[in-house]
Amino acid sequence: MQRLKRNPDIVWRVEKQREASVLKALEAGSDPGEQGTVLLIVSGTMHQLNMIGGTIWQSVDGSRSQKQLVDLLAAEYDVDRAELETDVCLFIEDLIQRGWLIYD
Amino acid sequence: MTEPFIELFSAPLTFNWTLSFRCNFSCQHCYSREEMSDELSTEENFRVIDVLAEQQVPFINFGGGEPLLSADLYKIAAYAVSKGLNPSMNSNGWLLDESAAVRLKEVGFRSVGISLDSAKADLHDDFRCMPGAYDRAVNALQALQKVGLRSTLSAVISRINYKNFRDILDLARENGVAQVYLHNFKCSGRGFKNREELDLTPQEWKAFYIEALAVKNETTDIDISFDDPVIASLPGYAENSLVKGSSCGKLSLHLRPDGHITPCGFIPLVVGHILRDDFQTLWQKSPILVKMRNKEAKGKCGDCGSFESCLGGCTARAFATTGDFSEPDPHCWV
Repeated sequence: MQRLKRNPDIVWRVEKQREASVLKALEAGSDPGEQGTVLLIVSGTMHQLNMIGGTIWQSVDGSRSQKQLVDLLAAEYDVDRAELETDVCLFIEDLIQRGWLIYD
Repeated sequence: MTEPFIELFSAPLTFNWTLSFRCNFSCQHCYSREEMSDELSTEENFRVIDVLAEQQVPFINFGGGEPLLSADLYKIAAYAVSKGLNPSMNSNGWLLDESAAVRLKEVGFRSVGISLDSAKADLHDDFRCMPGAYDRAVNALQALQKVGLRSTLSAVISRINYKNFRDILDLARENGVAQVYLHNFKCSGRGFKNREELDLTPQEWKAFYIEALAVKNETTDIDISFDDPVIASLPGYAENSLVKGSSCGKLSLHLRPDGHITPCGFIPLVVGHILRDDFQTLWQKSPILVKMRNKEAKGKCGDCGSFESCLGGCTARAFATTGDFSEPDPHCWV
């Protein structure tokens, strides 16, 4: 089973204040939009991932398959499983193409 | 991928760390050559690393002073790496031979920057007031290349080199440099004293940046960086920046040898102490940082359409020449 992991050359961190404000907005039932909660520095350029992207990023630690990642998110977010699977697959494909995620 | 950050980061991304102001050079533009300061002990410097790791500051960049004169450099950097930080440094290259390059790589430095202000040896040596400086700097780049440690080249743009910056890029190519920083001239320290001799006029800065941006946009084999907010008003400028205006106090801070924090190396205002003060309180509430992050549009900035992009340009230059963060950057040509 192929497991994905983060490219170790990418420096990243969770923006705690931003994450807290997004969680607060979600709890209040409002839309936090595409606010970035995880910051990536790739070859000197900064990028951000939104809440779900950030959750995926933090979970891709070489211990899970893509299906296990979907299971993890499905347990956390109340969304249609098929839709989630498609979105996660597209997101991961994008990050693999960028070289940000690699197979262990 | 997401909206730009519009509020404060949870901590700086970079700490520019001056371990010591001691230097074996005496450069004409140096911001710190006249500075004197107590220095933290090795144990205290380790505690600094603990604070930075706890705050999740990902990058530290040792500058100075010449970092290789600090006996603790390797120990501190190794400890930083063990805590998940990514160290880099800037050096004049004089002490960076192959054995030093090997050691820097073994310790875990991500990259090492070498100062080279001209592709002409005599001009560089004269600017740095050190005969042989050019040869030693080039040797340092070659040593880094040989051991496979990423190198960058830093050139301070001034009257001696602004017309010949392409030669500096060629010099970088010849020596395997990954990135060239064409630093804007700062009127701090000796740079302030010698600014009339070395600094360009606003119109000369504009002409330089228009040309340099065009070269940057057509160059693919080497990264060219400017880090000068005053260029945000120019056509062809398309940096992916998370903040507008100066990044000091928003993305980065400067640490003096005694542990005092300043917004950047060129702004001599202490916002607090890394070991004595609560870092989050300083980062979020320091009146100096808050003021820097909320500049007013004073003077000609008041009715300038570019203010929203450049936020008045370089805060350090405005402060050095007027004593006020919110005054226009003296390099501004608008």
